[in-house]
Amino acid sequence: MAKAKVTFSDVNVTVNVPVGTRIIELSEAVGSYIAYNCREGDCGVCLFEVIKGQENLSELSKEEKAVLLARFHEIMEGWRATNNLEALQAKMQRENFIGKHCRLACQTQVFGDVIVAPI
Amino acid sequence: MTQPVWLSERVQWIGAFDPGMRSFDIILKTPNGTTYNAYAVRGSEGVAVIDTVKAECAEQFFAHLEAVARYDEIKVIILNHLEPDHTGALPELMRRAPQAKLYISQSAQLMLKALLNRKDLDFTAVITGDTVSLGDRTLRFLHTPYLHWPDTQCTYLEEEFILFSGDVFGCHFCDKRLYNDKVGDFRFAFEYYYTHIMRPFREHVINALALIEPLTINIIAPTHGPILRDQPTRYIERYRELSAQRLQNEINAEEKTLIVFYISAYGSTTQMAEMIREGAEQVPGVRVSLYDMEGGDTDLFVDLVEDADGILVGSPTINGDAVKPAWDLLSSFAKINVRGKLAGAFGSYGWSGEAVRMLEDRLRGLKMRLPLEGVRIKLIPSLEELEQCRQYGLEAAEHLMGVNAPRVLEMADLLAARKQTTEELSVVTI
Ligand code: FES
Ligand SMILES: [Fe+2]
Ligand SMILES: [Fe+2]
Repeated sequence: MAKAKVTFSDVNVTVNVPVGTRIIELSEAVGSYIAYNCREGDCGVCLFEVIKGQENLSELSKEEKAVLLARFHEIMEGWRATNNLEALQAKMQRENFIGKHCRLACQTQVFGDVIVAPI
Repeated sequence: MTQPVWLSERVQWIGAFDPGMRSFDIILKTPNGTTYNAYAVRGSEGVAVIDTVKAECAEQFFAHLEAVARYDEIKVIILNHLEPDHTGALPELMRRAPQAKLYISQSAQLMLKALLNRKDLDFTAVITGDTVSLGDRTLRFLHTPYLHWPDTQCTYLEEEFILFSGDVFGCHFCDKRLYNDKVGDFRFAFEYYYTHIMRPFREHVINALALIEPLTINIIAPTHGPILRDQPTRYIERYRELSAQRLQNEINAEEKTLIVFYISAYGSTTQMAEMIREGAEQVPGVRVSLYDMEGGDTDLFVDLVEDADGILVGSPTINGDAVKPAWDLLSSFAKINVRGKLAGAFGSYGWSGEAVRMLEDRLRGLKMRLPLEGVRIKLIPSLEELEQCRQYGLEAAEHLMGVNAPRVLEMADLLAARKQTTEELSVVTI
């Protein structure tokens, strides 16, 4: 079976996995700081950062994107100052944050080598 | 039948008394019941209902509401918190006032859909600074998530300086005189509620206080217990004190703290703990403390744990289980936020060593992170095994400081280690 390397940079662990593995299947077992809650793509808690290899991850679904947006406005530093969700969302999109640098661990599958980290 | 209570000419309490309640959410005790506080606000262009009550108390709520407003006057329903004790009467209220618009926090949307199980739901999701106007009365929203659910928010009545705070500043205390300057002594209930409901979300409490403290406040109107009209800011100050760090931290910013808790039957687990400390101390920047659970009290330990960066727990296996003080310590972690802290377990055993794996599973369940597999030693530790403990302490400390050496694993091996855990556990439960 085809293999991929997933590196969790916060714990400095690389795992060799069969392609199609979800990040969340590994993150807890290696003790990474990537948190989770619902495991179903609803809560946005399992947000993580893709440091390298975003092209090797499963495509972003509409649902994942919506949860990411909702989650972002909650956690982004300075959102209170802007107090404007739309402006913030526009900014995030412009900078291509969603889907490129940040994903949900319980949704994202691995198809090639990646380096990931908690946010 | 009780009557609605006028907070001002335009604002009424329309909640319900539940004096018979003795335990809340199963874990919380309440020696004299509770109240579910809901409120009505009348503006020149309509009425807002803020929160409802639990389903079993709906009758009281509707009677109070009907005494102050007609259903067709209700323009707005605000939900500060979706837990069933405040949304039990919501479906019926929506049926009786179908024209009313729902206002919920930005983070409550999915939960509301799940709660009402309706696809065609119409609602407005709001964040800090959003307002809804009732003509000459304006309600402004404060986004205060995780107090104590992700969906929670507060609502502020601008013209009258009243804060409808949801569960925040609430307590389980039932006294029909309702105002804090009229009811009996409820201080213990206020503190108890904070400790059990709010303390695990300390960071969120601090964020919410930053939004609340700048407001002028005449009355705090929470969803449980007394309405705080006499010196309301004292309660805000009390939250500030309670959310401050419990122990004065003498550690500087670059240092991390690791606490090793242990308990031993014949001294083997003690020896292990001491070697683990020795190993951990080799890593610069880590401050290690060692505590024998037998000589301390969980309430004091939990304050230490709240401020620590990493926790290791050592217990022997006795009768196929970890010992009670270890479990007591772990259950006290539910009172604070341990999510993301580094954790691990270790211990000695006679003929089967389930305790360590069981403790590890519980620590993972608390969303702590366990980068290392715990050390288990049969009977008396040999020199070689003590060296293994030292290594374990060293690696745990390296993880804490983020200086651990890179490792490469096969997924199969990683999961096999976990599976072994589960198998051992199922043997125990048989
Ligand atoms: S764990 Fe909730 S979205 Fe992934
Ligand atoms: Fe609640
Ligand atoms: Fe409540």
